[in-house]
Amino acid sequence: MIPVILGVSIISFSIMHMIPGDPARIIAGEGATKQDIEAIRSKYGLDRPLIEQYFRFMKGILTNDLRSIKTERPILKEISPRFLNTVQLAVVSIFISSIIGISLGIASAVRRNTWLDSFAMFFSLIGVSMPIFWLGILLIIIFSVFLGWLPSGGKGGVEHIILPAVTLGLATSAIIARMTRASMLEVLNQDYVRTAKAFGLAKRKVVYKYVLRNALIPIITVIGLQFGYLLGGAVLTESVFGWPGLGRYVVDSIFNRDYIAVQVGIMIIAMSFVLVNLLVDIFYALIDPRLRRG
Amino acid sequence: MKKALVIWFLVVAVFLFAAKYGGTLRFLFGVDATTLLGPNIPDSISNIVASHILEGLIDVDENLKIIPCLAERWEVKENGTAYVFYLRKGVKFHDGEDFNAYAVKTHFDYVLNSSLRNVGMFKGILKEVLVLDQYTVEFRLFQPYTPILYRLATSSAAWILSPKSIEKYGNDPALFGRNPVGTGPFIFKEWKVGERIELVRNPNYWQNGLPYLDGIVFSVVSEDVSRVNQVRAGDADIMYNPPPALLPALEQDPRLQLKTIPTVRVIYIGLNSRQAPLNDLRVRQALNYAVDKEKLCKVIMRDMARPSDSPLSSITYGYVPTGGYPYDPQKARQLLKEAGYSNLKLELITPKGRYLNDYETAIALQGMLKEVGVTVDVKPMEWGTYVGKILSSKPEDWDYQMFLLGWAPGTAEGHWVLFPLFHSINQMGNPQGTARYNNFFYSNPKVDELIDKIGSELDEKKLMEYYAQAQKIILNDAPWIFLYEMKIATVMRKEIKDLKIYPIERFNMTYAWIDR
Repeated sequence: MIPVILGVSIISFSIMHMIPGDPARIIAGEGATKQDIEAIRSKYGLDRPLIEQYFRFMKGILTNDLRSIKTERPILKEISPRFLNTVQLAVVSIFISSIIGISLGIASAVRRNTWLDSFAMFFSLIGVSMPIFWLGILLIIIFSVFLGWLPSGGKGGVEHIILPAVTLGLATSAIIARMTRASMLEVLNQDYVRTAKAFGLAKRKVVYKYVLRNALIPIITVIGLQFGYLLGGAVLTESVFGWPGLGRYVVDSIFNRDYIAVQVGIMIIAMSFVLVNLLVDIFYALIDPRLRRG
Repeated sequence: MKKALVIWFLVVAVFLFAAKYGGTLRFLFGVDATTLLGPNIPDSISNIVASHILEGLIDVDENLKIIPCLAERWEVKENGTAYVFYLRKGVKFHDGEDFNAYAVKTHFDYVLNSSLRNVGMFKGILKEVLVLDQYTVEFRLFQPYTPILYRLATSSAAWILSPKSIEKYGNDPALFGRNPVGTGPFIFKEWKVGERIELVRNPNYWQNGLPYLDGIVFSVVSEDVSRVNQVRAGDADIMYNPPPALLPALEQDPRLQLKTIPTVRVIYIGLNSRQAPLNDLRVRQALNYAVDKEKLCKVIMRDMARPSDSPLSSITYGYVPTGGYPYDPQKARQLLKEAGYSNLKLELITPKGRYLNDYETAIALQGMLKEVGVTVDVKPMEWGTYVGKILSSKPEDWDYQMFLLGWAPGTAEGHWVLFPLFHSINQMGNPQGTARYNNFFYSNPKVDELIDKIGSELDEKKLMEYYAQAQKIILNDAPWIFLYEMKIATVMRKEIKDLKIYPIERFNMTYAWIDR
């Protein structure tokens, strides 16, 4: 984990500093005097050599002594509430998409080549291809502007998370449905499934106990990967619904050249990705006893 | 009997038309505010929020006229090197402290001794603040500087902070930015990072009976279409700068009111006169004659702009009409021929999405200049990169030819246009410059002299004469392609009344009320 984080810190630092543009200039805004701009520059050591700036940054990470260039507040105070919002949205939408995706996938695998299968695959084709901001705006127009059932954005009670989570979840569920279907079909053709059927086991039992369990590993992998992506912040969904998450913050910080905010944000995203991978490995072991001994 | 009837009618009328108390106004922004510490505010969004919590000695109204605020009146003394302000009595800060001359002095001492983001508005100009008595202060300047009144009226650095809060938070601007204490109509309540800022009504506000609202909530929604949708859905009350394509639909919506007002922002094409061919006056003038500004405003800007004929917007203090450059492609061609250029090729760099339809304007210009035989290569750039290029202090970056940019004097007066942009002292890279924005390398000794006079002239008639001369000369020197003045559109729910919109991107909710 530590080499990964170190690598991420070096890459994000170098890329950020390679982009042209001066944070002091951008943040000071139009109408700043020369004095104003120089004050910002020296305050954040932007006038120092790059190597020195990097070591200052790493030292700041270790001592938790970093401040956003834009707001001048301790960086963790800026990032942690946004990261928690992102986690919230990611958990709810991965939950929604797993339920929709896995059930559609099972249904279409078991009833292959029926209308149900075609419908499920058509749905997932739409889910994968529909641009997420377009879907989001569409849902807002239908459910908020016309029907008035759900709030059109912002953060608040449970009702506020429904639309963004569904928007995100639909796209992800399409991917999960396709994976589930493929993986189930593969297992359905195995000899032991035929044998189980031949023994006269109930179809339900065969599907859930033997097929699904064996098909689960690739499905979990996909869910884990998707969850990792979602933890990186869903920029478009956050923008459309005014969801105050990490993704939009990092993007805005890039435009502001808020080096500290971007670098710390990326490191947190990288760390959560690594953690999710670890979680997925643990899940593997739970599902497949063979992996526990190995 | 008759008398009673009249009184009865009056009562009903007052009841029907009087402003109503109560309700919370929900205001939408595209990004979060940065800080609410006046002297440290770098952006207009923070400015809008903080202007409801903090107040200055003087203020501007919707027409950018200077009006009294915490000072009831003022006098200019000693040939413009001293300004005496007579303060309002009985005003209290939100923390219960008294507002008086000592508070004013404490505030400006704090500002002048700090390195906060916009103290440059006063450093080097304001020498010190003296307490004459408990409710009288004198501002001493290093030398006469007439725009000081506009700066005091518009700069967030001049909004007086409670002396107790300065003592408590003064050393930590970041913390101070989350704990603003002023005398304004609303009191700061809460700031949820990236999400919302809440203000509540100040029950002890010095203007009796104001404000009408119980509070204001500013929320962040980054997508502009989503902001519009929230207002349409009734989840918010107001947003500004809607996408222009939606304007016709918004005008039709019976639940909404759409207000469009001119602003102090002008959009122009800077012409870098360091190298040929743009160092030739005839070429620069030709480019101006080749542009059909009316068409730009109508077709590209959809009436969200009007043609400009001066570096100052027509509502900026000091503006004098110059006549501008009429659309005359024939004359443009002739001037280019005189200058000896045929098949001229130029590069135009532009931001994309920073200003309303900026890139679209650049593309339209490309077509218009093609008509007179000038080939323009349009290069859009990301804002941060763009600013790094055109406001660079390194000579190797000064090779750009034409660039699209906007300038909006937050001070609402013309000196803060002419001085940073057109005074030769502020050419890029000049160590003596204090506000270096002259990135098209304009230099005219006569204009320098006029700008210096504008900065110190007390007689308004003479001042306007200098302004007129400076604008005429600059127009004739054509350091820019003069394009247009921006308007600002605001979308509000129908039931919002008396919300004031200022041409300097400020919204005043002190008098606003909700008709429910």
